[in-house]
Amino acid sequence: MTTHTTARPVTAQPHVSAAAADYRREFSRRARRSDLLVMALWASGAAAAALFLASGGAGQFTSLTETITSVGIIGGLIGTDFILVMLVLAARIPLIDKTIGHDRAIAVHRSLGKPALYLLLGHGALLLIGYGMATGINPIAEIGPMLALPDMPLAFIGLGLLIAVVVSSVVAVRRRFSYEGWHLIHLLSYVAVAFALPHQLSVGGVLSEGTAQRIYWIALYVLAIGAIVTFRMVEPIVSSLRHGLRVSAVTAIAPGVTTIQFSGRALRELGASGGQFFIWRFWTGRTWWHSHPLSLSAMPTNTSARITVRALGEGSEQLGTLPVGTRVSIEGPYGLFSTAARTSPKLAIIAAGIGVTPVRALLEHATFAPGDATILLRASTPEETYHWDEIRAIAAAKGAACYVMVGHRPAHTSSWMSATDVDRGVTLAAVFPDLADSDVFLCGPTPWLDLVEADVRHAGIRPHQIHAERFDW
Amino acid sequence: MRTRAILGSILASASVLIVGYQAGVSVTTSDGKSLSLPVGSTTNGTTGTTTPSSAPSSGTTTEAPVVSGPSNGTYTGSSIRTRFGNVQVSVTITSGSITEVTALQLTDADGRSVQISNRAAPILRSEVLASQSAQVSNVSGATYTTQAYLTSVQSALDLAGA
Repeated sequence: MTTHTTARPVTAQPHVSAAAADYRREFSRRARRSDLLVMALWASGAAAAALFLASGGAGQFTSLTETITSVGIIGGLIGTDFILVMLVLAARIPLIDKTIGHDRAIAVHRSLGKPALYLLLGHGALLLIGYGMATGINPIAEIGPMLALPDMPLAFIGLGLLIAVVVSSVVAVRRRFSYEGWHLIHLLSYVAVAFALPHQLSVGGVLSEGTAQRIYWIALYVLAIGAIVTFRMVEPIVSSLRHGLRVSAVTAIAPGVTTIQFSGRALRELGASGGQFFIWRFWTGRTWWHSHPLSLSAMPTNTSARITVRALGEGSEQLGTLPVGTRVSIEGPYGLFSTAARTSPKLAIIAAGIGVTPVRALLEHATFAPGDATILLRASTPEETYHWDEIRAIAAAKGAACYVMVGHRPAHTSSWMSATDVDRGVTLAAVFPDLADSDVFLCGPTPWLDLVEADVRHAGIRPHQIHAERFDW
Repeated sequence: MRTRAILGSILASASVLIVGYQAGVSVTTSDGKSLSLPVGSTTNGTTGTTTPSSAPSSGTTTEAPVVSGPSNGTYTGSSIRTRFGNVQVSVTITSGSITEVTALQLTDADGRSVQISNRAAPILRSEVLASQSAQVSNVSGATYTTQAYLTSVQSALDLAGA
């Protein structure tokens, strides 16, 4: 299986087409932006600490008491910095979405949650110890005088709320909630940030006049809150009003699978790429409270758009009976599962089940030379072959090779292919001879996709060539 | 790409921290001087000779100090700058002894400082009254306030010619 897959460095090719050079240039630009974002993240944490040191904190390590207090303060500052960075990452800022994609932004957001909480818990604990030592009482007894400080009761409540938010987002706990329930708890993080702010001003003095800290923290708060307000509130409302989307047709195409057609104004100006998703909200009495992240299943025209939905949860079941004329509000387009993520002129696409929807739009949108794209469609049963006819038609028109693979996975192995094809000896390399210098787009249910991705990585494909969209919930 | 991001992050964070620390050290050393220098260093009653930039308000109600001993009156000490705010006291002398110390300004940069100085000020006042000098022990947990308070007391006593 590995015979074809020694990764040829792309640069070693003697004749590089103009298109290939363009993709490479675009990719290195994006990689550079992405690296800068990572650096900015860490540097912001360092800046929080450095500004404290610069405004006099550097001299506060002369005794054990002072050191404990100072470390506690630094912990709180870095923790707060991370919380604000998390807000920035969750704000769906177009620049960040274009650079690392919504998925990765949220993954980084998640990975910062626990460290931020631990830093803030440490902040509280160390300051109780440090202040306690300074006045000669134990940390528990110090809680009393601490609460007597102005704004401290609010700060304690804020920390409590933050604990609730983080605990509710731990995977095991999160499964117990509906998305809406979890989201409601998650909104408490805004309250937590607001409650923590006063004590940073009055007790911490980070915003005292004329300090560099003041400029830094004001800028960071404005950036975080401003980004949330702009890109999660104002922009979606303006865009929804402007494009005036309404449901124009609802068609069942298979058991539990529905296409929803929309009419609207100036939809091209949404700038959606094939493969991207929007967050949809359908304004009927039963469905308005539930938002649905769903990919376009065709490129929008200027006046119409289409999605394809499979009933996966209680919310999406009701979408099959939406009345024509229902108003729809949107947030998006989001995601890097699109032509914007390409690094090479060649495409290798594997999609399973309802995962065909973004792939269908991606294929329609992508430009490639005949023979440069290969698609493998995968389903467990013949009933799950949604939009396969459309994809075959596009593939035929654009000169892409299209393979299909129907059947359940073999039991007791880790193959993502059908049992019959495994027996026939089908391999990744056999289906995709140009895999090594292709962009690999994968879309399907998480457990299946994990297996495909492992296979693709095993074939020596580098992470930046792999673009995966998973269906979680 | 990842290595570039990691190395860049380390470099950026480290340099930010170093710059911050350097800036902080230079600030505190200059502050430190203002605290350690003045106590008892000069006795020529004209000013409290403290280094802080804010022009120290020298005695307001001074009659020219008489060489023989402290004269009656209220003497305003120097305003001492600390990183938690300025500290200034006035000392009232009656028949050669200190009868009152009034805090005109105490460390107030933030809520915590206010709490600390409010706790320390009464202790310092009674200790100064008891010892009749600025040579009293540190109030634990309020080192900056104590040093600045006593420095201001001393400068007021200098004015009084004590």
